[in-house]
Amino acid sequence: MSMPMGSATPLPHRSVTNIKSPTGGGSGPSTPMRSLGSNFGSPSSLRAEEDLIVIEFGTRKLQVGFAGDSAPRGVIWFSPEQQRRVGDFRIWQTDYQNDWRKRSYGNQWGRDHELWQSDVRGLELGLVGDKIERALREAFTKYLLIDSRPRRLVCVLPSDLPIPMLSVTLDTLFNRFQPPTVALLSPPVALAVGAGIRSAFIIDLGWSETVVTSIYEYREVHTSRSIRGGRMLTEETHKFLAKHLAVAQGEPDCKSNENEHELSFEECEEIASRLVWCKPSRYTAAAQPDDGLATVQEQDESDIRGQPSAPSTAIPVPLKSAASPITLELSCDQLAEPCENTFFDLELLPSSFDDHELPLHMLVYRSLLQLPLDVRATCMSRIIFTGGCASVLGLRRRIFDEVSHLARERGWDPVQGKAVEQLRTNPLLKKRGTRQAGSGPTWVESQPGSGEEQDGVWHDAANTTPEVDPVEEQLRRGSDKRPRVYGEMRAVESLGAWSGASMISYLKAPSIATVDRDIWLQQGAAGASRPSDIDPKTQRQSLGAGGLIRGTASGGAWTLGVWGAA
Amino acid sequence: MAPLTPYTFIQCPCSDPSTLARSGDAAPSDVDDDGRTFDPRAPRANFSLYPLEYLLYCEDCHQIRCPRCVAEEIVTYYCPNCLFEVPSSNLKSEGNRCTRSCFQCPICIGPLSVTSLESQPDSSLLAAPDHTAAPQAGPYILTCSYCNWSSTEVGIRFDKPNSIHAQLAKLRNGGEVRLTAKERKERRKEALQSGPLGAPAASEGENEDLDIETQFANLKTFYQTQLADSSPGGNGLSLGDLGFASPNSLTRIMSIYTGGTLHDKKAKSRVGTMREALDSDEGLQIADLDEMDAIKMLHEEGCDGTLSTEQIRNQPPHLGEVHLHGRSRFTSELRPIPYLLRTKRSKRCPICRHIISKPEPKMQSTRFRIRLVAGSYIPSITVRPLNVPGGTPTAPPDTLRPLQPAQFLLTFKNPIFETVRVTLATPATTPGRFASKVTVLCPQFHIDANTDVWDEALKDNDRDRRRRKGDDGPSQSSSSASAQPQGQGGVHQAEAGKIWERGRNWVSIVVEVIPSSLRLDLLPLTAKLVGGGAEAKVDVSPLKEDEDLLEIPMFVRIEWEVDGGGDEVGAAPSRDREAKEKRELAYWCVLGLGRVGQA
Repeated sequence: MSMPMGSATPLPHRSVTNIKSPTGGGSGPSTPMRSLGSNFGSPSSLRAEEDLIVIEFGTRKLQVGFAGDSAPRGVIWFSPEQQRRVGDFRIWQTDYQNDWRKRSYGNQWGRDHELWQSDVRGLELGLVGDKIERALREAFTKYLLIDSRPRRLVCVLPSDLPIPMLSVTLDTLFNRFQPPTVALLSPPVALAVGAGIRSAFIIDLGWSETVVTSIYEYREVHTSRSIRGGRMLTEETHKFLAKHLAVAQGEPDCKSNENEHELSFEECEEIASRLVWCKPSRYTAAAQPDDGLATVQEQDESDIRGQPSAPSTAIPVPLKSAASPITLELSCDQLAEPCENTFFDLELLPSSFDDHELPLHMLVYRSLLQLPLDVRATCMSRIIFTGGCASVLGLRRRIFDEVSHLARERGWDPVQGKAVEQLRTNPLLKKRGTRQAGSGPTWVESQPGSGEEQDGVWHDAANTTPEVDPVEEQLRRGSDKRPRVYGEMRAVESLGAWSGASMISYLKAPSIATVDRDIWLQQGAAGASRPSDIDPKTQRQSLGAGGLIRGTASGGAWTLGVWGAA
Repeated sequence: MAPLTPYTFIQCPCSDPSTLARSGDAAPSDVDDDGRTFDPRAPRANFSLYPLEYLLYCEDCHQIRCPRCVAEEIVTYYCPNCLFEVPSSNLKSEGNRCTRSCFQCPICIGPLSVTSLESQPDSSLLAAPDHTAAPQAGPYILTCSYCNWSSTEVGIRFDKPNSIHAQLAKLRNGGEVRLTAKERKERRKEALQSGPLGAPAASEGENEDLDIETQFANLKTFYQTQLADSSPGGNGLSLGDLGFASPNSLTRIMSIYTGGTLHDKKAKSRVGTMREALDSDEGLQIADLDEMDAIKMLHEEGCDGTLSTEQIRNQPPHLGEVHLHGRSRFTSELRPIPYLLRTKRSKRCPICRHIISKPEPKMQSTRFRIRLVAGSYIPSITVRPLNVPGGTPTAPPDTLRPLQPAQFLLTFKNPIFETVRVTLATPATTPGRFASKVTVLCPQFHIDANTDVWDEALKDNDRDRRRRKGDDGPSQSSSSASAQPQGQGGVHQAEAGKIWERGRNWVSIVVEVIPSSLRLDLLPLTAKLVGGGAEAKVDVSPLKEDEDLLEIPMFVRIEWEVDGGGDEVGAAPSRDREAKEKRELAYWCVLGLGRVGQA
């Protein structure tokens, strides 16, 4: 729309010329092609620059605001009430809240509070589109107070979103709101930007699952997930409350059906968010400063130890949605139970978990373990907690401590078990063992005396002066002399994915995946090229050269980036 | 359950055609026999159905326009509480909330009022003159007259009774003053100047807790300096760089043609990637994972001390607070909610750009300058029970008895000044698991024009004659215009192909339904009968919400003729009068008749 379509002849050599940008100094003949045709774009596209709307999609809510704001202006939660007909006012009827049983039949308990499920099989995509549309319309009229002129959108979308869902989202946006372009950003990167760091280890305690993503130099390098998230917490809370409800009603042995729900989803969720908390780790205060790996923020030991035992008083928990209203008296320790079961499950053996249901501390530890050494050292001191469950009191600290403990106990050694232990303690093999247990950033220095090893290559590598790595040089030059934090566990606060995206958009950094309306309507998701076919350099260069008027989408190839990876 | 009054919803024709198809597992079989039956129970249907009152009408496109298919323009922004008009420029800078003294109670969302907090001895005295004489005394608080919440509960008091918003922005809960970014900067400068102890000041800065706004601002400046340093051409990425007029562009172009040598030195000194933020001045915040205080507080205060989800969601994003992972939790962390601004919007047809609704710009006025509501263009449909076999005495009166035929009277009222022909179509059975049989006794009829009421009254005899006119009127000549026939029960029989009653601009017809039984054990039998398809599985899950509602999808097609004017003449001059133009409008609507009793 904003682009001169006529000048859109895809130049096959353009990408090559862009790689050889003049930044390289003496990099041979420099290229006149660098100023993309985009500089001649009509100035009308500048006007569209005025309002850039950033939308963060979550499973439970939608956050909407203008780029450059520090926080979203409006948050829309998905709920069954949102899916009613216009003019259906039954929510205001007096007995509406008591009717939850009828409502929760059929549609699984609480599923209608979600925008989508990652299992696309049973999902009606059109409905997802409708929900998005209605939520966005509400956000635009209620919170952003904007009219329906087309505006450019920036979407923060999980990068593992199935393509049908991505497609329906973009369809809805393009058909109903007519934005000239939609740019896609991935939440972990936005979070890293929102924290001011380039590499991060993001623990997203989300609704449907917990996703652990490692970001290294603004790239997602590793991700793993576990179903232990907000939904499971709510379900555990329900299980927990139902159990105590049965006891209170004097029928403790009444085995209720798995699918039967004693309490409404809304109430369980409310209790989960209000009262459920997380006990501190058993290992909290055992941080050894000399370990180098796990310097936790110093903590008064007695303070923590005394804490959980002190309040043994019962907390009244009023339940309204039970068959008859009742108030349960639950102790504080009991209220930590759902959280314990959901996120840690310490009673079970570590080997009893499947890959998709790892307890969080193991998930984080394993995920860190799988990272390359340098990346791990960088990431482990830039842990960002985010997601809805990060607000469970004490949970962040608990995960942090458990992971620190695991790291201290096992080191960063993927191999463990009795055999390894024997091998390690075996005095006969002691010589070789020193290298094996090498950990963290001290790895390189720990081998000064290994020159006598039989391995000749090793010998050479240790003594030659390292080659000058231009990339490394560059990295070093930008920094000032202040030391970076490496190799120690540290948590960093991020402003959040929305704010990060707002920052990115405000700084006008172009996104790799920017979809043009006309092209999308013509080609749909099938028209997208693989991200590797698109030269990212073209896009990144345009940050300098013609960043404001995007020069890429008008060309033949466009990509959905990581979102389009099938 | 409140008794259900029959209702009508209209589906805006703008919705995707895909909505019309049946959804879910039942889709294939239904598409086979009737490809386009609209299912009011499909979850997507809820998004395209509107009561008639919500719909607008474009006179030029002759089409219904629903809230989804209009283009909106904002006439004014205003605060719903003080009705103060807010200029649109303020909106960008000051956000979407009222920046005067309008606040909502964070507990019950009632309006808060500013009251003065008199000192104790004054209030104990009953000296009225004192109060009237010095109402300005003391600090001020916000109080809710509904739930008695007051801002003292979160420790907030104001010095002045006006511009509360500005005062509140500088106050933290508990009354602590919050520094603005400017003040913070000044203070730091002072600290640097006052002593040579630069190092301690810097280290202090590293661990400083920033509120969200400050952190964002710090990050922003950090990134901007980094970008300026690291971007290769020395481009500041400002808007000015785009044109050829800017010196930056010139140097860049020069550098392009001179092989980059012009830039080399500079570039080399600057090249580098952005580094990360290193301290709180640059926006980096080390997370404080210690939440023991909050846990302790939770244990002390219990459920009552915490906020409900509803209250949390109503809280505006409080930028002046340290990152709380998106929300506050305790009642002591509540903030008064400034009113969200509202807008008055004019609406345009997205196709022809004609205005179809335009409110008065004045805040106090609720009138509209232009407003083309659909109700004055398309016939309204009202539903009335005609002959409904009574349910069991215990059931509410609106309950329909399953498997017993019930008759409903549909009254179509014509709002336009032309005679319209109406054609109705319904599926023989309602879609869904519990298929009720539907018969429209008279699916085709015409409604007389909405002529002047006085015409009608003056030509009383004429009216009588017309009512009995030939084919379709009921043959009860003695009934006066106002007499309702359902009282006569057996005398007045509904007949197929005949309308029930006709008035000046309205026609009543009869719809007969046989509600299906809601018994789940019968479902396998009926499902086979109705669906006819090879459905392997019959859904016998318990009754879902609203599944006992008897809703009939009905396709309404109305045709009328207008005096052709302008360019559209000649489109359809086939009718008897030469300058007439034929118009038609077709849409689905849903009639909710009642709840089927469980028996």
